[in-house]
Amino acid sequence: MNMDVISQEILWTALKWGMTLALLLYIGFALVVLRQVTMMTDTLDVGFEKPVRFLAYVHLLFAIITFLSAFLLL
Amino acid sequence: MGCMPEVYNSHTKPKKSIIKEQKVREKRLDAILSDKSLEFKKKSKNPLTAFGYFPRKADFETKDKEEHVILLLRKHPITNARWIIASLILIMLPTVILFLPTINAIPERFMVVGILGWYMFILAYIIENFLSWFFNVNIITDERIVDIDFHNLVYKEISDAKLDRIQDVTLQMGGAIRLFFNFGDVIVQTAAETPNIDFHAIPNPDKVVKILQDLLLEEEQEKLDGRVR
Repeated sequence: MNMDVISQEILWTALKWGMTLALLLYIGFALVVLRQVTMMTDTLDVGFEKPVRFLAYVHLLFAIITFLSAFLLL
Repeated sequence: MGCMPEVYNSHTKPKKSIIKEQKVREKRLDAILSDKSLEFKKKSKNPLTAFGYFPRKADFETKDKEEHVILLLRKHPITNARWIIASLILIMLPTVILFLPTINAIPERFMVVGILGWYMFILAYIIENFLSWFFNVNIITDERIVDIDFHNLVYKEISDAKLDRIQDVTLQMGGAIRLFFNFGDVIVQTAAETPNIDFHAIPNPDKVVKILQDLLLEEEQEKLDGRVR
């Protein structure tokens, strides 16, 4: 019974750090998306660049919020 | 002192005359594309259109100052249906999972972070698919055809061919959905470095071919008249 509790605790701790690390890496991906959007808008300008850039910033902000919530809540 | 404005004028054209020049050229191009059946002859103002005829704003990296964009083409909007439906299903999935009895075994804090991560993943999926549709375009100008492709996150490919290098234009249209929504492929064979420039799943492919033919005729006429730029 005691062993079960310990192994469960190890599982959740491993999951916590795994998720936190994955979300940290995801922020890197969100930055790549932002860079990609900048490259795309530099290549083609049709008058819809601001909303597209805004979307990429929202995505980056979402990634940072999710990482912080994982870091603080878990 | 009196010479100064003259020197200044010789280097910078007054803005009004540039606009007038552009309008004259646009009118001439419009006259070339003289098919009265072209119902889309209205100038396109919507930046999200898949068939932009004389789009109000369309600049691309390799565009010349004097070059005019006649058509800006994207894949038909219906080609986005698959990822839009998939996104809607993915958005609703957590509400279904929350009703499963085994979900109680997961601590609440993990659930909160898991759901946030899930929606972040969906947002990324939507953004990637939208960007792919929005920025992968085909452009027809009065001088050439341009194909702009973004294959993944960091790779882009811009291929172009001058109109006088075009050898053959093929229209491919088949399947019930394509016929119903009137979209298809236009394959342009060229004598340029890129042998084929493909316009995939574009709306009104027959009209695109017609415009290309008109422009090719005009290009030949320009050559005969010695008006080649």
